[in-house]
Amino acid sequence: MASASSRIVNSTSSSINATNNKAQQTEEVPLLAGEDVKSKEKDVIYVCHFNGPKKGVVYITSYRLYFKSVELDSAMTLDIPLGVISRVEKIGGQSSRGENSYGLEITCKDMRNLRFALKQEGRSRKSMFENLTKHAFPMSSGLQFFAFENKETYKEDGWKIYDPIEEFKRQSLPDEKRKWRITNINQNYELCDTYPPVLVVPGSASDDDLRKIAAFRSKGRLPVLSWIHPDNQAVIVRCSQPLVGMSGKRSKDDEKYLDIIRESNGQTQKLTIFDARPSVNAVANKATGGGYEGDDAYQKAEVIFLDIHNIHVMRESLRKLKDIVYPSVEESHWLSSLESTHWLEHIKFVLAGAIRVADKVSSGKSSALIHCSDGWDRTAQLTSLALLMLDSFYRTAKGFEVLIEKEWISFGHKFATRIGHGDKNHADADRSPIFLQFIDCVWQMTKQFPTAFQFNELFLITILDHLYSCRFGTFLYTCEQQRSKEELRKKTVSLWSCINSEIDKYINPFYTKDQHRVLYPVASMRHLDLWVNYYIRWNPWFRQQQDPVQQRYKELLVVREQLLKKLEELQISDSPTGMLPHVSNSSTSSSPVPVSPRSQTTL
Amino acid sequence: MEFSELIETSKVDHVLLSRPFLQPVKGTLCVTSHHLLLSSRAGDKEELWLLIRNIDGIEKRSAGSSGIITIKCKDLCVMSLEIPGMEECLNIAKSIEALSSLESTSHMYPFFYRPKQLNLLEGWDLFTPEEQFTKLSVHTDNWRLSYVNKEFAVCTTYPDAVIVHKCIDDAAIKMVAGFRQGGRFPVFSYYHKKTKMIIMRSSQPLTGANGKRCKEDEHFLAAVIQPDKKGYIIDTRSIQAAHQAKVKGGGFESKTNYHNWKRLHRPIARGRVLQESLIKLVDACNDQSNSIDRWLSKLETSKWLTHLKTVLTTACMAAQCVDREGASVLIHGSEGRDTTLQLTSLAQIILDPDCRTISGFQALIEREWLQAGHPFQLRCASSAYSHAKLKQEAPVFLIFLDCCWQMSCQFPCSFQFNEQFLITLFEHAYASCFGTFLCNNEKERFTLNVKEQTISIWARMNSPSERKHYVNPLYERNNFTIWPSVAPQSLQLWQGLFLRWIRTPEHQNEAWEQIKHIVELGSRKANPSSTELSVLKEDYAAN
Repeated sequence: MASASSRIVNSTSSSINATNNKAQQTEEVPLLAGEDVKSKEKDVIYVCHFNGPKKGVVYITSYRLYFKSVELDSAMTLDIPLGVISRVEKIGGQSSRGENSYGLEITCKDMRNLRFALKQEGRSRKSMFENLTKHAFPMSSGLQFFAFENKETYKEDGWKIYDPIEEFKRQSLPDEKRKWRITNINQNYELCDTYPPVLVVPGSASDDDLRKIAAFRSKGRLPVLSWIHPDNQAVIVRCSQPLVGMSGKRSKDDEKYLDIIRESNGQTQKLTIFDARPSVNAVANKATGGGYEGDDAYQKAEVIFLDIHNIHVMRESLRKLKDIVYPSVEESHWLSSLESTHWLEHIKFVLAGAIRVADKVSSGKSSALIHCSDGWDRTAQLTSLALLMLDSFYRTAKGFEVLIEKEWISFGHKFATRIGHGDKNHADADRSPIFLQFIDCVWQMTKQFPTAFQFNELFLITILDHLYSCRFGTFLYTCEQQRSKEELRKKTVSLWSCINSEIDKYINPFYTKDQHRVLYPVASMRHLDLWVNYYIRWNPWFRQQQDPVQQRYKELLVVREQLLKKLEELQISDSPTGMLPHVSNSSTSSSPVPVSPRSQTTL
Repeated sequence: MEFSELIETSKVDHVLLSRPFLQPVKGTLCVTSHHLLLSSRAGDKEELWLLIRNIDGIEKRSAGSSGIITIKCKDLCVMSLEIPGMEECLNIAKSIEALSSLESTSHMYPFFYRPKQLNLLEGWDLFTPEEQFTKLSVHTDNWRLSYVNKEFAVCTTYPDAVIVHKCIDDAAIKMVAGFRQGGRFPVFSYYHKKTKMIIMRSSQPLTGANGKRCKEDEHFLAAVIQPDKKGYIIDTRSIQAAHQAKVKGGGFESKTNYHNWKRLHRPIARGRVLQESLIKLVDACNDQSNSIDRWLSKLETSKWLTHLKTVLTTACMAAQCVDREGASVLIHGSEGRDTTLQLTSLAQIILDPDCRTISGFQALIEREWLQAGHPFQLRCASSAYSHAKLKQEAPVFLIFLDCCWQMSCQFPCSFQFNEQFLITLFEHAYASCFGTFLCNNEKERFTLNVKEQTISIWARMNSPSERKHYVNPLYERNNFTIWPSVAPQSLQLWQGLFLRWIRTPEHQNEAWEQIKHIVELGSRKANPSSTELSVLKEDYAAN
């Protein structure tokens, strides 16, 4: 019934290739600077879940898996960065009889699976399997990430996007009253090896104090400032859990430090500590030396548990979600199946938690301290979302890049471990879609506030695609210490270089500037939607809903740009009543497009 | 009858009104014959001006010395009035109940509503069968306009003029009408230019248990399609239900007697099932408990989206028969006044770009709903909150509007009207100061002089100051057929309607304002005046 918006690249790619017919074979594969072809397998059948088997050629390069069909009537290509691959399995054995039952099954990190059928005779499967395994999992095969071979050049330098000193200056830090100071105490990562070198701490806390406090916090992740409210000076402070343990250990220094934070904006009320975990989990953590700030020790603090579950629960939830959307969408009980994945419910808890933080700081004018266990997963979700609600700067494209660099990358969200970059251990229990969940929350906010964000959906999807691709250095490794050791900024390209060089593609046409208000999204389940354009995007039968609007809108913006240019020209030529050149009316001349089919995203 | 007899207390002071999104206000509450008014006397404005007809149900309870009335409206809004004194409260409640349950149509507000700006006659003759016929005869001469139903003599629920095939004379039509329930003989509904095929609608044939036949009916249906072609009869009942209908005198077109028609049974929910679905849905939407409330399960159990899916799927099928198969289609259920109309009207929206314009959609509603005899007054007597015993209420028209909304989401540039347009139609179908949706058919409207004594909603909606609120700024005529996706993840809850009293649409509206702004700038491009150029320049500088 539904008309298909096939995502298969057909006409354009085949026509380009047709003109280059006599060129060398390798030129049939689009290559990035620094990318080279590692192997080529002929007579491979791509067993498409949607459009049936397609015969073609597979190239494996240092960056991608590229399939090109040889069937004339259904030309198509498939272009997948190797970094997206989570698992490669052999299917079928020598005795397999069924059609296309012998080959490889590839599980991807971005909600899809791919199946290739190969000939039983010969060594083609072995060779493809080995090449894929070798290049898709460089960490396991002693190779380096493609990001280090990538020689792409861009007009923008994304590594310059985030400078912590600049960012704190934007927040007017250090403040006039010296309540807060910027310290380089961690420049050799000696205070805390997973924190960035530059930290903002209370002005009255000495370096010695900081060392003692770090010793009382899990992994040395002491409370440091994330954000300060420009008017009421309330702050958002992040850290890890205190090392209370079964015996209820205390640290006078930590207690005093939290009190300084509480008082920093003249607030005499209690300091609110948002513990992201369910209270049961927080208590259970005492057994392993952790815990939370107890009433006795911290009399001027109040702990609120936000009931956000841990990485294992989230991973399981996403796995269930994939089960109902890929390859085919569970049709008969769609809504209750969706509910049973609990994915939206987890989104709700994360969003609701961030709303409480933002509300406390903005309306309650009181400071908030946020932690979970180690302070690099749920804490990052909460601080970054709260910052997004409070500060309109982060709602611009560049501001959002700063936010990710700051709250996620510099504060040691373990991207390498959570995503499993280049690692063949697909069942690793440390993998978890924490960052995806954050981006999903952001998407929910963009849906609820269509004019408040400068970036569009494609921006978010592109970030997620390169979270896995390993083409850029941005998300590699787990903390700044490691990144500086690997000389990431010198040796790799930043994702923001790529995005910012083509920023027009990622701009939300609905965006209206100067919205300094605080955004409070509705976290009720009624107002949360499944992000179908992301989770169900591989299904060609699914219609992209926002596309035509954005398309139409962009056309109009182009027309406006043209007009403004003409206007300037006219003013330069100084012809007060001069003839206006006719600007083509693209809003009426463009052919009506009921669905604008989007071609396969080439990464 | 005097309204004053029903009003126990007409005025109470110090009443506290609480409504969604607005600060509570205290003021004087007045009960008039058709309205509930509340004024704080700060300035001249009324804080509340509620049509009593819009009240779906009220609940009263005491809170200390005062009484609280919760008013649940047909447009789904819920508000409360805190009235000092329990006795006053009960009196007010009694008055509201009496006034809102008035059944006499001629006492309803549209007969009293006389705004200065609008003319009584305007809007009533915008869409006539004559006009429809004139348009049709440009393309084909196979059809004729028949006045066989003059003074509603043959079918009480049809208009006085209908378009029928030229092969059938008025005498034969009378025979066919006798063989169809309620006299609803097959009439022309839509002509598809591309394939020259048509959609017709009727009610079920009265074959009864004995398999009665009517040779005029058979002859007529055979003559409509060319001998070498096949037609499709889409029966909106299950095959079992169609068989059961025989016991009560109804039935279906058997294969042997109608051999060039292929019958397809596509059961579509109607009546009580549909009304209960709406009640469950609204209940789930309003349940504000913040715990894990199993919202998605509740949404699923309401079956609302499933009903939408069935209706849309079947409408697509009818449209496919006409557009892709090149076959003509006859649609009916039992009476042919509910599900039948959903299908004929949705199929036209899929097939015909004219129906996706503002005036085309109005014409469609006139043709396929009002003149086609959808019993609005019975179906929309109460909405989701009423405690009254259900009679013949069913949100058949609301399902249709929701399907239109779903399509407008999937094809955001193909509809000339916006969401507000559809919401406005929903509101006025349930309670209105206009006469358009009064009564159940043209005969009743004629008897009560509705078209002479009330104002048409089209007069209001088409006035320039009003019309601009209904225009989709992204509209760009799309001459193709539009095939909606009916996959479960493509159909969404119509938040703008069902959740509109829970979250304000201000942020969405902002986005639309922004779009309008840019579209306006874009449309100035052809020939901007010097002042416009300076506006542009300022705008440019501001950005």
